[in-house]
Formats: sequence, structure tokens, C-alpha cells
Amino acid sequence: MSMYNYVFRRVGFMAVTLFFVTLIAFAVTNILPGDVALLILGPNATEQSLEALQTQLGLNRPLYVQYIDWVVGLLQGNMGESLRFGEPVSQLIAERLPRSMMLAVAATLVAVVLSVPLGVYAAVNQNEAPDVSASMFAFVGISMPIFLWGLVFILVFAVWLNLFPTGGYVSPSEDLVGSLTRLVLPAGAMGFALTAYIMRMTRSSMLEVLSEEYINLARAKGMSQRVIVLRHALKNAIIPVITVIAFQFSYAFGGVVVLEEVFFWPGIGRLTLTAIQSRDIPLIQGCILVVALIYMFSNFAADLLYAYFDPRIRYGGDD
Amino acid sequence: MSAPTTATDREADDGPLLDVRGLRTEFRTDAGPIVASNEVSFSLDRGETMGLVGESGAGKSVTARSLMRLIDSPGEITGGQVVFNGEDLLQKTEAEMRDIRGNRIAMIPQDPMSSLNPVMTVGEQITETIRRHQDVSKSEARQLAIESMDDVGIPDAEERIDDYPHEFSGGMRQRVLVAIGFSCEPDLIIADEPTTALDVTTQAKILDLLNEMQEREGTAVLMITHNLGVVAQTCDHVGVMYAGNLVETAELGDLFDRPRHPYTRALIDSIPEVDTDYDELPTLDGAMPDLGNLPSGCNFAPRCPHATEACRTGGDPSLDSVGDDSSRAACLHAADLDLSESTVPESGAGRRDVDRSGEPLFEVRNLKKYFNAGEGVFGNVHLSWEGGGLPTVERRHVKAVDDVSFDVYPGETVGLVGESGCGKSTVARTALRLLDPTDGEVYFEGQPLHELGTSEIRSLRREMQMIFQDPQSSLNPRKTVGQIVGRAMEKHGIATGEEKRERVGDLLERVGLSRAAASKYPHEFSGGQQQRVAIAHALAVEPKLIVCDEPVSALDVSVQAQILNLLNEIQEDENISFLFISHNIGVIRHICDRVAVMYLGKIAEFGSIEQVFSPPFHPYTESLLSAVPHANPDRETDRILLEGSVPSPINPPSGCPFQTRCPKKIGDVCEQELPELESVGGADHYISCHLSEEEMSQRDSFITPSKRAETSPADSD
Repeated sequence: MSMYNYVFRRVGFMAVTLFFVTLIAFAVTNILPGDVALLILGPNATEQSLEALQTQLGLNRPLYVQYIDWVVGLLQGNMGESLRFGEPVSQLIAERLPRSMMLAVAATLVAVVLSVPLGVYAAVNQNEAPDVSASMFAFVGISMPIFLWGLVFILVFAVWLNLFPTGGYVSPSEDLVGSLTRLVLPAGAMGFALTAYIMRMTRSSMLEVLSEEYINLARAKGMSQRVIVLRHALKNAIIPVITVIAFQFSYAFGGVVVLEEVFFWPGIGRLTLTAIQSRDIPLIQGCILVVALIYMFSNFAADLLYAYFDPRIRYGGDD
Repeated sequence: MSAPTTATDREADDGPLLDVRGLRTEFRTDAGPIVASNEVSFSLDRGETMGLVGESGAGKSVTARSLMRLIDSPGEITGGQVVFNGEDLLQKTEAEMRDIRGNRIAMIPQDPMSSLNPVMTVGEQITETIRRHQDVSKSEARQLAIESMDDVGIPDAEERIDDYPHEFSGGMRQRVLVAIGFSCEPDLIIADEPTTALDVTTQAKILDLLNEMQEREGTAVLMITHNLGVVAQTCDHVGVMYAGNLVETAELGDLFDRPRHPYTRALIDSIPEVDTDYDELPTLDGAMPDLGNLPSGCNFAPRCPHATEACRTGGDPSLDSVGDDSSRAACLHAADLDLSESTVPESGAGRRDVDRSGEPLFEVRNLKKYFNAGEGVFGNVHLSWEGGGLPTVERRHVKAVDDVSFDVYPGETVGLVGESGCGKSTVARTALRLLDPTDGEVYFEGQPLHELGTSEIRSLRREMQMIFQDPQSSLNPRKTVGQIVGRAMEKHGIATGEEKRERVGDLLERVGLSRAAASKYPHEFSGGQQQRVAIAHALAVEPKLIVCDEPVSALDVSVQAQILNLLNEIQEDENISFLFISHNIGVIRHICDRVAVMYLGKIAEFGSIEQVFSPPFHPYTESLLSAVPHANPDRETDRILLEGSVPSPINPPSGCPFQTRCPKKIGDVCEQELPELESVGGADHYISCHLSEEEMSQRDSFITPSKRAETSPADSD
């Protein structure tokens, strides 16, 4: 019962957020300098043809009419047509999005697999050699921007060791192995960069939990260290980490904009760059909206997972 | 996995169950080792209950944890023996110890709110102990867990076993902890302040449960507590600890009748009993010494009223037998001192009279404060699925304070007493406009606080000060005491410059600190001294009213008595009014002139201390009073144990809020009609109950009949 209430509340909150996102996306793209009609027709266009195109695109209507028109379109699943590609925006995004998703998910997975065990290990050996070296390893990860790690990974694993291709994308449905080998480097580079935050969070969360009274009681019940760490502590400690993981996942989506460039990965990041470069307003708006949606949904997913792991939320909290 | 030891194994040994000899536990610190448990020796027989009492920092918990070898770095057990069932536990490997923990020696921890793992069901937490120590299948373990939940009085154990801790009330969680403790039928239970975090009515039930379980299972219990009332109700013999040392051990009766150590006497005397009047509580000066900086003589000498030169120089005395009874005491003069008499006579003069002929200083009328249930923008929005079909959206509120009225006259102390969650603190905060009231009126010297704007309230703040439970969090850690107290004077334009400094010094002396304290920071003071600073801060602006929110709850009893005396003294000198909030009836009774008993956001009873407590009328007041454990083992009290727990203020019961638990419920009228707070016997004594006065006073009271006749308003009419 309370879970319904919880989801109901979160969805209501998301609807409000989404409204503001559409406002901002619309406002930003309309504040951008440059006349779209001029961009399309080139500098030699006549006054009449410009005006005709503006009328055709609806650009000379009042802004609020354009906004309402756009939102109504969105609600019908119509995101408009890309000015540059001449294809529906939704189609362009639908093609690119899964590729970026694959990269971001793989990167997050790499980060989680590396950071959670490291964080637990560091916490259990607080202030000793393993703790210090784990922290240093993680720290190296955030010491450089993601795209630089991309270049370092290409240099080391592709150029010197020749283990993986330098970049490019192959659809997994065509060539699974080829697709995965091309995924390793960008996902590894981004995952490595994401490791630090999650690891630090896991470590501090574990330390906090390990000093809780119920850990004391578990010891007084005769439980072994392994059971205490894995069964009693980690299940509690992971709860705040989930939020960080979700945040890092959406951060990864920001990271892909640059990283996709480095690895020639034709995802939503490169699409956004192209859209901005060519002032392709419907496409920019679409991309902003989609990235914002992903951000919102990953946080929503985090909250649901949070609720799954924390029975106090699952059952409606301390009434 | 180890098989449980059988009864024959256990009884093979004739010695005591537990024999602790010269146990020493040290903590390494930057300033050198600190001895938290110093050469502690005692023994405990099967089925016996021993109390280990002392104030915080005395070393009780460290000693208990040392017995289970649960001391973490930088702590270390550096000497002695812990002979349990004939074997020295200090010689065992960690793996062997794990087989003993939870199995032969189990622990019942202090705080039911934090001692259960929030993400595991209570069933998982009970069965894992059983499965760890007994060779049983999963379903057998579950069955055993259900039985143990039944044993500790958790209703519907079979349905509730898969619930999570947060779905249980504090008292029920404590029962789960008791079930875990007893689940493997241990020989020894170490109960570390098992009722300290509980409300008094719940405490009474848990103590009864512990006594009952112990009798049934024949388990020995080591009861660690700071509460002598708890000791008196549960223990066979007692050890008193002070600064890491055991300073007295005695049979329960001897300890209370004839304490052998002056500290024990002082500890007993500093507790305000719920049915005795005192002019002043006896106090011990100072506080327990810092373990890193012990005095050269007897540890207690600096605070001891009987200390001689020999006490101050000759090192700490050892624990030796005294006289012909079984008592042992670590005091040079144990044999010569007669400490059998309490050091304070009861009050002869009676209560000071408060002049209530004028206008009240502070008046609260029909105050209401509702909070949104839940947090955030949509926090209080709930889908209601009742009535079938589509759910309806509704907003829910916590009625923290619901129609509360009372007044405070100049120079008077009015108490608000009740169990946690009854709304007493919210009343204070809302009345002072620290929170905005939902409805109702508040007058201070005739000015309507509820109508005033923020700036007008701010200028009135000078007249109304507040003292909180935790001085450490209410004093700015980056400012010196002089700055803290002086700033209040400056802000309200009372004094500046040299005059301010002078007055700060005077004030610090007034609250029992030295003038030099002004240049120190709050963390350099002990808890009691910090509370003195907080009082000085409140007094700095010469207020007319001070709201004290649980001001002594975080303090040790000897320090608590000092602070209570200080507050009384200040009131006498300055004619300040206090609104005093506490869950502790003994404290309320000692310090207040009138008291409001609160239950679930409403006032159940309001009147003078005599009217409300001697004898109690409202069934809730009566049960509250009866649940307080007396620090006197000879006193038999008929505890009135309340059913269930306090209902949720989001969805309070219909009719009288107390009807779900009331032992004297009449019937439908209680369920349907909210009783008015009505004057009884024509006096200023108000009770909210459907029972008539006669019906309320029919009881087997623990107040002696003669005393009752004197004070019962029913007789005086």
C-alpha cells in the first residue's frame, strides 16, 4: 500500500520536473543566436524565401504558441523533424540511444564491479595498507578527465598492446564479439573514472554501518567476520551507494558526449554535438529532453532500488 | 557450528558460573594507556542476578564487554581471568569465543532502536543465532524463533516473524532483543542498560519479562545499569563501579540499608523519589575524574564528604570485606562510617507557595500543532484505497499537539510530563513560536504571541529563554563561554564592554563555575558544567520565563541533582518562571509546582503536584506513576501494566485517546466521546476522563492509606 503511495508521489514529482525541463530546453534553444531559416537557406537567400521558410516552420509565431505546439507534439510522440537530417528526431534518437545506453551501462558496471568490493575491503581494513592503496587506485581514476583516460586507454591497450581496436562501433546483433571488443576500451576508461566516487562512498558508508549497534550485537551473537561484513553490514551500507551509482550513471551520459568523439562511437553524444553545431533546434531539444529523461529515470530507478533494499521505505517509513 | 552443551555438562562444575578475577582492560590513547576496568573481581552463581551500577564512564560496559572478549582496538584486556563454567575465557581462541557468544553468554543491548539490523526481518535475526549455535534445519530454527517470540510476549508471533524491526514499537523491539538473547538458552545473559532507552511504562514490562524469563530458564543475569530503581527491582546482589574500579559489592538489601562506600550512599540519595518531598537534593560536588588523570589517593576522595588526609594520599584503596555481612567496599573508612541513614531529611516545610492572584505570566489556550505526515513536497499526500474503486487522494497530518491549554504564573514551575511522542516538546516549541502554531492562542504578559510578527517576537525572546537536553549541541563549539554568554547580553542591549565582562563573571559564579571559565571553550567542560553554561546563557538576558526541555535527562544522577538544585535556587532568588519538560516523574515531582500530564498530544490531567500525584486520579497518571521503579528493594509496588503501545498520532483512536490502553475503560462512552478537561472538586485540578472522581480513586494504591486520606480532595469536600 505504502509502496504505491511512494511511487505515486515520485511520479508526481517527476511530472513537475519534466515540465520545467521542457521549459528550459525550449527556452535555451530559442535564445541561441542565429536564424534557423538563414542557416538552412544559406547567406544568399532572399528576404521572401526566408520569410516563407519561417512561416513553413512556424518560427514567426509567438513563442508560447510554438512551445505549446511542441509540447502537444511531444505528448503525441512527435518530436519534430531534424532540420539537418530531414528525418524525424525520434527516429534519430531511437537509433543512437541504445548505443550510448550500452556504453553507459557497461561503464557503470565496470565501475560498480571495481569499486564496491574495493570500498568494502578498504573499510574493513581501515587506515591500513589495503585501505590506503585502494583509495589511491580510485583517486588516480578521478585525477584526469574522462576523455584523457580514453586516450590513455587507446594508447596502452590498442596501440602498444594491440589488444583491442582503437574505436568504432559494431552492432551486437551483427557481430557480438566485434561489438564487445569495441566496447571494452571506452567502457573501461569511463568506468575507471567513475570508480573513485562509488568506492569512497562504499567505504564511508561501510565504516558508518560497521560502528552501528546492530553490528556489535551480531558479534555478541557469535557471528563470524565474513557474515557480519557481507550479511549485516553490506546490505545496509549499499543503500546510500545506490544513489551515487545512479548519479554516476547519469554522469556517464554526460561523459559520453566527449568520449563518443574519442572512440568514434555514434551515440547520442555525437548526435547532440552535431545538432548543436548545425543549430538543428528540434534535434537539440530532443536530445536535451532525452538526456534529462534518462537522468530522471535513473534517479527514479535508484529510489525504487533504494526502497527495495531499505524496508523502512518499502513499507512507508516510521509512521 | 557447535552443539549446545547439555545440562549435565553444565552442572559438572561446582564453582560459581562466572568468576572474574583481577580483570583489567586498558585503552591506548595518545596520552598513554587509560585503565577502563581496573582489577575487577566478582563472581556470579547460576540463576543469580547481579547488578553493575555506576555513572557514565565508570567502566560498567567495558567490564561487561570484556567478559565476552568484545573489546575493540585501541582497547585491550591486559590482565586477569574470566572463569566461566570452569574455563578461563581469556585463554580461548577467537573461534572458540564465537561459539560461546550468543550461545552460552548472550547479550541484551541497550537501544532497541539501533540494535536490530533494519534490513533484516526479526525472524532472520533470531534464526541466524539459533542456526549459528544449534544443529537444526531452517524450518526447525524458524519454529524455535516463533516459540521464543511467543515466550517474550510478542503477540501473533507467527505472522510477525517476517516483519522488519521498524514495524515494531520500541518495547516490542526490546522484546525481540530479549528473544535473541534467550534463544540458545544461555547460562549467562549480560543485559547492558536494557531499559534505559524505553519509556517508563514499557520499562516496567520489560523488567517483568526479564525476571520471568530468568526464572523460567534458570539463567544468570549481569544487569548493567545506572538506574538504582532497576537494580532494586531485579538484582540479588550488586557491584558499584566508580572510575574503572569496583568500589562496593553487597547483597541487594545490605546495599540499600547499609551502604559501605560513601559513593553508594550519595548515588542512592541523589535520586528524587516519586513520592517524597525534598527541599533540596543532596549532591556530590564535581564529577567523576577523568580516567587519564586520576587523583593520587582514593579516586572518590575529591568528592567524598568523609575524606581524610589519608584518603587523599595513600593510593586507591582495595576492595575489602567490611563487617560481618557479605559486603565489600574500597574505602579506608568503610568499617568506621555508618552510612545507613540517608543524608537528606524529607522536606519539613512543604512546598513554597506561588502567588496566583495576579495575571499569569504565560498562558496557552487551545494550542494546536499539526505536522504534515512524511517529508517533501508531496510528503503528506496519501492514496486512500478505502471504499473500493479508484483511490482517493488525501492529506494526512500528525496531530503532535491537539488542543492544549495551561498557564504559568510568575515564579512558578509548571511541568509537562509524558512518554516520548506525547507532544510535550512540541508544546514548548510552538508556544515560544519556534514553530508556528496551527491554531490556538499564546499570551506572554498579556501580549498575544500568536499574532505578533517575527521582529516583535525577536524582541520578546529576551524574556523567554530555553534550555535544551543536550548542551553540547546547543552551545557554539567555536566560541568561548564568555563570548557565548556575553553575546546574548550585547544582542539584547543589556551590557557591553567592561560591564558585560563583569556580569558574565558574576553569572558564571552564580551557576557554580569559576570566573576563569569565561575564556574556555564548551568542549573543555563536562556535561553537567556545559548545562551550567547553558543556564548562564539563558540567565544572561534576565528572562522572566525559561523553558527547560529535558535539561537533566542526559546527565548522571549526581550531576542531575546539582542542576536541579541550581534551578530551584535561581528561581527563589530571581522569581523566574519555568516551563519544565521531562519524562522523569521523580524530577518533575521534585522541581514543579504544577504539572500537566500529556498523552498523545492532549493534556490528560493538570493540577498541583499534590493534586496530580498524591494520589493519582487519571488512570494514565496512575499507571505512569506505578511503573517507576523505586530505588528501594523493600517497596512492593503494584505495577499497572498498560496494554499495547502508544497509538500513532496520524490516526489517533476515537473518543478518549487513552481508551485503547486504559485499564479502567468503562465502555462505549470512552470509545465515542472525547472527555473534556474538567475541573474536579472545585479546585484548580483538571482531569480529562469519563470516570467520576469516586471511580478514579477506587484502587489499590501504593500510597499508604493514611497519607491518602490527608490529601484526597474527595475527602476534603
